[in-house]
Amino acid sequence: MTVRTRRRPRTRIGWRAVGTWAAVAGVLFFTLFPAYFMVASSVSVQTGSGTDVLLPEALTLETFHYVLTEAGFLLYLRNSLVVALITVLGSCVLALLAATAVARFRFRMRTSILVMVLVVQMVPLEALVIPLFLQVRDLQMLNSLIGLSIVYIALSVPFAVWMLRGFVAAVPVEVEEAAYIDGASWGRMFWSVLFPLVAPGLVATGIFSFIVAWNEFILALTFLNEGDKYTVAVGLRQFFGQYTTDWGAMMAASTIITLPVMLFFLAVQRGLVSGLVQGAVKG
Amino acid sequence: MGDPVATRPAASTAGRRPSRRGASLRARRRLLPWTLLLPALLVIGILLLYPLLRVVLLSFQDYDLSNVVSGESDYIGFGNYVQLLTDPYLWRVALPNTVVFAVFAVGGTVVFGTLVALLLRTLGRIARTTVISCIMLAWAMPAVSGTYVWVWIFDVDRGIVRQLLQAAGLVGPEGINWFTERLSFYAIVTLNIIHHGFPFVAVTVLAGLLTVPRELYEAALLDGATAWQRFWHVTVPTIRPVFAVVTILSTIWDFKVFAQVYLMPGGSGANPEVLNFGVWSYIRSFSRQEYGLGSAIAVMLTLMLLVITIVYLRSLFRDEELR
Amino acid sequence: MARTRALSVTALSAVVALVASACGDGGEGRTLEVWIMEGTNPDATEYFEDIGEQFREETGVEVSVEFQPWADAHDQFVTAMAGDTMPDVAEVGTTWTPEFAAAGGLVDVTDRVGDTDHYVDGLVEAGQLDGRLYGVPWYAGVRSIVYRTDVFEELDLEEPEDWEELRDVAVTIAEEKEDMTAFPIAGGAMHQMTPFIWGNGGDIAVQEEGGTWTAGLDSAEAREGLSFYTDLALEDGTSTTGATTWLETDLQDNFIDGNVAMMISGSWTPAAILEGNEELEGNIGAFPVPGPDGGTSPSFLGGSHLSVMSGADDEDLAWTFIELLTSEENMQRWSEDTTYFPGTQEQLDPYTESDDPLVQPFAEQMSEAGTTVPVSENWGKIEGDQTLPTMLQAILDERSTVDEAAAAAAQDVEETLNEGS
Repeated sequence: MTVRTRRRPRTRIGWRAVGTWAAVAGVLFFTLFPAYFMVASSVSVQTGSGTDVLLPEALTLETFHYVLTEAGFLLYLRNSLVVALITVLGSCVLALLAATAVARFRFRMRTSILVMVLVVQMVPLEALVIPLFLQVRDLQMLNSLIGLSIVYIALSVPFAVWMLRGFVAAVPVEVEEAAYIDGASWGRMFWSVLFPLVAPGLVATGIFSFIVAWNEFILALTFLNEGDKYTVAVGLRQFFGQYTTDWGAMMAASTIITLPVMLFFLAVQRGLVSGLVQGAVKG
Repeated sequence: MGDPVATRPAASTAGRRPSRRGASLRARRRLLPWTLLLPALLVIGILLLYPLLRVVLLSFQDYDLSNVVSGESDYIGFGNYVQLLTDPYLWRVALPNTVVFAVFAVGGTVVFGTLVALLLRTLGRIARTTVISCIMLAWAMPAVSGTYVWVWIFDVDRGIVRQLLQAAGLVGPEGINWFTERLSFYAIVTLNIIHHGFPFVAVTVLAGLLTVPRELYEAALLDGATAWQRFWHVTVPTIRPVFAVVTILSTIWDFKVFAQVYLMPGGSGANPEVLNFGVWSYIRSFSRQEYGLGSAIAVMLTLMLLVITIVYLRSLFRDEELR
Repeated sequence: MARTRALSVTALSAVVALVASACGDGGEGRTLEVWIMEGTNPDATEYFEDIGEQFREETGVEVSVEFQPWADAHDQFVTAMAGDTMPDVAEVGTTWTPEFAAAGGLVDVTDRVGDTDHYVDGLVEAGQLDGRLYGVPWYAGVRSIVYRTDVFEELDLEEPEDWEELRDVAVTIAEEKEDMTAFPIAGGAMHQMTPFIWGNGGDIAVQEEGGTWTAGLDSAEAREGLSFYTDLALEDGTSTTGATTWLETDLQDNFIDGNVAMMISGSWTPAAILEGNEELEGNIGAFPVPGPDGGTSPSFLGGSHLSVMSGADDEDLAWTFIELLTSEENMQRWSEDTTYFPGTQEQLDPYTESDDPLVQPFAEQMSEAGTTVPVSENWGKIEGDQTLPTMLQAILDERSTVDEAAAAAAQDVEETLNEGS
């Protein structure tokens, strides 16, 4: 009897591990298959629209060379990086402040502001192109990477406010109170208590803003008229001709566009775990 | 069972807190939220709210390319809205395409993303980082490239899905064009959207999961709660705000999905049966240069989302969540 | 696959900057801004460096060229017009010219051009609005049938000379070559279909005396032509299921992959096809789209105009640039680089006598049977709405009969063309 009761949980755990890893494999397959498709068609010599590219007969890196040098992607990468980093920084700071305000204070018009912030995200971006273009022109921000970044901050802040609001609200108020009892000012409490606790939320928000700034193209295309200011997403458009599409180059460029997001994630992923650490300390 | 959660005081106590401090401090406190909000409101107001106002004004005008150039306006009252609302196309095609699709896409994305987040939490640190990095790929892939890849995968004549189905004997040699049927068309769009959208949900929910204090689980374990009970009674209530955000935002995005429909075969207008609000508005505005009508569609989409979001917040989440 | 050697804008601006610094004494620091569509000419960067050099020598003014991808060019023009950030000179697609002119974005160049007889008729026609000319014909292309000569030889087939023969050839290939699509009917490709409407005596729309348009898509001739074309897919099995949603690019991609035996394709494509698949070298040929009982069916004459944009700083200077681009020598080099046909009749003539089997049939098609879509400021809306592909797809997908689909499309076309008049 005792032997049996002891053995059962052990096999359960074994099965559980198998189940976990099977699930991981399934998730990875679903996620990576299209990505594999993208990479495979960028290095395959013969890139029609078919599935021949799945197992390319011959490989070439020529498309990458072409995309980076002749098609100007080195410059576009640099531009996009500048825009994305300014956007991430700007939207995280602005959103954290605003999120704290709506999650921790009660004041008049709080609900209206929250709803307004939500509503501005509901308008299809395509409908905003012309009014936004006129606005940006009046602000003298056309053809400027900073100008574009500010627009992207505006685009990602509403989202970030809503997201961070949830994270700030999830931090128990006692933690804050404890800081006040210790004699901390609001600013000090904000910086040394609230900030570390919402760090995982900030990371998730940061990744989101990064991707928004990195992949957006309609606005970038309309605001940037000079070739040396283009971002990667705009650069991607040059492979679409009037009657033809350069699939190999497009997929190579897409691969190049995708990688920095992963690198950015790897750079900030520690923040995602810091919440766990905090939780332990708090206990 | 809900006990561990109930001990968490609602955020409403925050407002009462500073009562024992000085009056000047209280005044400063009153200004503090506005100071915190100001920068974000400025940016949003100038670059989103004002253009949005212009879109609303446009929707009451007959505005075409020559108006764009000359800048003159030509107000026609509710003409655009009357034209739209009396168009059977809206009720028969655009509305169902938008709403039904969004229901499935949001449901699929949130459920799948949450499952992945739960899975990720059980993994060790290195495995977790590796898996998230891979998931990031799906998110980071530009929507344009991602859509083309899905179209290739489902290519009617030579796509891998077709080949598999044919090998399994489910499809005859003449094949089926799944891009021409609304249902199959949107099934592919849904797959594309879930693929592109679940990493956001997974990462956000995971971040939320990691902020749940350990003690809560330990307490629940001591009470003898099963895994499901722990998820439903500890995890869900604690990270409810995160779920709310994820669901609302996914709803907003999936209602106005554009590139993933526009770039599909027939999705840019050649097959009117498969258009949704976003694409419809775009085609009206840019392909037909009826900016007034296109803006009216956009405004209607916005209003629709607004109503849905409010109903959502009211019914799904406790009232104090928003106040 | 087609390597449209998209140019490096970076390299270009670097060169422009270099030229500017080296010759800073010329001009008064003025620059002429020019928009050129990207992807038409594989060597456009180099070409426009030379043009810029010539222009500077002539006028002392620098040229700054921005290359706009075709895919978004229309929207770019619209926002630029709205924001008053237009260039001085721009390449404008022929079907956009009346639309932009009506909106007030282009300058009337009728008097500057003067006599238009030496231009290809269809291009002049396409550039007019209310009898005034807004675009100078630059280059043009036309579609004919491109086919695999090796397949024709293997099956002992001749180039068809009327529709019956065309159908027989396609059916033979469909029966004999199982791994190939004989003659795909692409549902999203409008100008592959129009020759069958025009060839049978039908019209998309005709303008009456008073300026009102009457749609011709639902005429007996047009419907008969449409039936012939769509029946190739529905009855004769020369197409595939997937082709219902193909665009023109899909036709070309599949031809390059060796899956297609015959297709209607542009005069500018053979070079790209050969570049995409070298094994096809020597194995492709072309012939004009035959008429129902012999002769040639008209096919759409597409191309570009050069226009002076309203708000140009100096219209004379802009015009000088257009004259330079359309000079005989520059035109010839452009045509050679792009494999498009020049926009003047006298420059086109030599091509019709060319012995190149991939040039002559197209040139013949262009000078004998090149035609345009209804010239109207509202045509862009019909194109944007994809009215014709909608009709075609509905038939191919058997959601509508030819009669129903043609009637619906005719109604749409008529309503749209008569808007605002």
